[in-house]
Amino acid sequence: MTAAPPPPTSTPLTGTHVVQRFTLANGLRLLVVEDHSSPTFAYQTWFRVGSRDEVAGKTGLAHLFEHMMFKGTTNHPEGELDRILESNGAEGENAFTSWDYTAYVQELPKAKLDLIAGLESDRMVNLIVDEKSFRTELEVVQNERRFRNENNPDGMLFQNLYETAYQEHSYHWPVIGYQTDLDAMHAPDAVDFYKSYYAPNHATVVVAGDVNAADVLSVVENHYGGLKAQPAPLRTIARERLPASPRRKHVKVRVETERLLVGYPIPPLVHDEYPALSLAETVLSGGKSSRLYRALVSTQIASSVGASALDGKDPQLFLVEVTLQKGKSAEAAEKIVLSEIAKLAAQPIGAAELERARNQLEYSFYERLDSNSERASFLGKFEALTDNFAIGIEQFNRAKEITPAQIQKAVAKYLKPSVRTTVTGASR
Amino acid sequence: MKKQIFLLPLLSIASALIGAGPARAIEVAFEPDHSLPLVTLNVAARVGAAHDPAGKHGITNFTGEMLLRGTRKLSKAKFDEALDRLGASLSVETRAESMIVRGSVLSSQLKPFLDLLKQALVEPAFREEEHAKLKSEVVSAILQTRDSDKALGGEKFAEFLFNGHGYGNPIEGSLADVQKLTPAAVREHYGRMIVDDSLLVVGTGDAPVADIQAWATELAAARPRQEKFPPFEPVAAPAENTERRLEIVDKPGRTQTQVFIGQRGLLLTDPNFFPTYLANQAFGGGSFSAKLMVEIRVKRGWSYGASSFMRHGLQPRSWQMYFFPAAKDAAGALALGLQLAEDAKKNGLTREEFDLAKESLINSAGFMYDTPKKRVENLLLEKTLRLPEGFMKTYAAELDKVSYSRANEAFQSFLKPDAFAITVLATAKDLKAPLAEAAKVPLEKVQVVPFNR
Repeated sequence: MTAAPPPPTSTPLTGTHVVQRFTLANGLRLLVVEDHSSPTFAYQTWFRVGSRDEVAGKTGLAHLFEHMMFKGTTNHPEGELDRILESNGAEGENAFTSWDYTAYVQELPKAKLDLIAGLESDRMVNLIVDEKSFRTELEVVQNERRFRNENNPDGMLFQNLYETAYQEHSYHWPVIGYQTDLDAMHAPDAVDFYKSYYAPNHATVVVAGDVNAADVLSVVENHYGGLKAQPAPLRTIARERLPASPRRKHVKVRVETERLLVGYPIPPLVHDEYPALSLAETVLSGGKSSRLYRALVSTQIASSVGASALDGKDPQLFLVEVTLQKGKSAEAAEKIVLSEIAKLAAQPIGAAELERARNQLEYSFYERLDSNSERASFLGKFEALTDNFAIGIEQFNRAKEITPAQIQKAVAKYLKPSVRTTVTGASR
Repeated sequence: MKKQIFLLPLLSIASALIGAGPARAIEVAFEPDHSLPLVTLNVAARVGAAHDPAGKHGITNFTGEMLLRGTRKLSKAKFDEALDRLGASLSVETRAESMIVRGSVLSSQLKPFLDLLKQALVEPAFREEEHAKLKSEVVSAILQTRDSDKALGGEKFAEFLFNGHGYGNPIEGSLADVQKLTPAAVREHYGRMIVDDSLLVVGTGDAPVADIQAWATELAAARPRQEKFPPFEPVAAPAENTERRLEIVDKPGRTQTQVFIGQRGLLLTDPNFFPTYLANQAFGGGSFSAKLMVEIRVKRGWSYGASSFMRHGLQPRSWQMYFFPAAKDAAGALALGLQLAEDAKKNGLTREEFDLAKESLINSAGFMYDTPKKRVENLLLEKTLRLPEGFMKTYAAELDKVSYSRANEAFQSFLKPDAFAITVLATAKDLKAPLAEAAKVPLEKVQVVPFNR
């Protein structure tokens, strides 16, 4: 017996914006945020599948499949989807794949809700994947891989960091995949992937803009209500164990100035201590008075530095990235990074630093909600990562209350030098 | 409630610094938007990298960055601390004909933020220590551009296309020029940049218009009067190329190339602009149905992206194609891109291509100004390029007037494939001959420049 879908909910977002949430009988989730300031809306479809769900030997399939979603369906031959959207004034038609999700996004004039719901529901289940179009798109993806990784030293270093930091979990391989795996793929691989992961119960539709929530529900029911749910695929995603000792790798790349990446395993986005790590990120690299900026850029060792508590469905990395100035070494910069993190672990931050971190966090939160498409992306992402968009709001509210002692504790617990992975890049 | 944009007239303000005198003008536009507790404010000077004098390329950007490195009252460290404490940000964006200080802040922190911004603009310290530090950072940033094939290729293409004209000046400058910049030269440049009538304040957010207006009035009054330095000469129109040229930016070990093809562009106010813009949409305007995208990406898989677009200035700037095929496909893709342009010049667009482009552009035109931030960007463009007020809102109506024959006539007369400038970032030893053949440029005329020069 199938469980009844959860009842609709209504959750305040910011200001006058409210998120209305519905779940169809087939499991499709629908989030709607009304905003009538301009006669347009954002329409996004977030599938809860990414490179995390791939298996070794088939790396890059989630992303390659994202490309295939712009091909023909049983109702619309190849090229027609784009032509229909363009002629109807679609803006920002795009898609992207990450470790944990794949999203299809666009904005449209307000009268086009029925049109886009029809097109998106069609390609959710009626896609045609033939070998010819698959091979052409494979070549496009190989070119994207050359662009992002093979001919891009920063992309190559990032790939090396994840390959080194993750020995068991599927975050090990790049989202774009490996050349050899991609070359060995064929259309049936894409068909299998499509059948496994593209179904209403694996997706969230987010609509934000000049719409009426009841109308959206009716339109979405009409187009998606008849689609069948598919069983959740069996996934055996290995759990990553903490490194027994620091890992490091030096990569020879063609760069004019050296690079340093340091990653520490941190808990997933839903974890209680994640907000404290978000604040630690700000203390370390938020603005030009931050600790790492002062220690590395103001001293003319680096030209830029950034820290980020990366958010994931599974444990991700707290990443520190440093681009050195000419003649400065990554190894010297690493010592400074470790020293600054050690200080943060040893002593609580003061009131001024806390105020700065909180204000910066608050600014970043609101900035992510500044348009229909940004609101939709915020909701879609948190829904995909945590199964509940409201966690995005709750984590922000909790971060505002985090104390210096909690930041210190989280840094001491997670940013330990013994579990770090270091990747350096230089032409030497 | 319908939002209103408040365009304030030029204000005549007596200078508080130098006493009564000629009017001190500043132009202010602020759109209140109370949907989020944020304020965004841009202050633009109508001086950009195209004005950088020979031997001082990069000085406008450098001067802009120096504004954020300490004031007479605050050292850089204290300035940074004060700004960060507000959760605010300030950055500099240098364009060909403008330099914009971009700021954003929580609305609850607006007042102290405005004070810091004013200090940065009218009381910069230009300390020698910070000058040296910035020089070191900019030198590293210029070197790092060489690590990005796309950025490096784009920069080299602009230099090659404009051949000594200011539109080809790299925003951050050249290593040799930046290393020679002196604090005195930067102070003088500041004196010429931040002058009467050159400043423009454009913003949006959760603040009363009156507060922004009052602040801008104070800013105008506090601005130092700079009369001892000569004003910048307006940027002259760049010359048109007369023959097809090919430059290879030689970088070892490339498995992928970056291809830039272009010519001089059009003024936004040129009578042929909208017909050409429409035709370009069908040719390569970034959509998946555009001819360039269909032929290069969709049918052949040769490049992840393929597009053509215009860049604008106070003078005709550029029209260019861009794609990035694998080294193995570079010659084929270059030949195809050129062939498509030649075909477009000879035969024009089909009716079907024209209809789709026109419908698409008109129906999506509202997205050019559907948010306060986009409207702010439009105003910045209109004001810095001295376009008619509300120009960016006229697209749909102007495009609607363009007929099929008018679009073809304009595009066919605009395109000059025989005089294209072509820059390909590639490994020259592997590709020089095939690229020369594809471009139909004699091998001996191909210019090869090392990527690190």
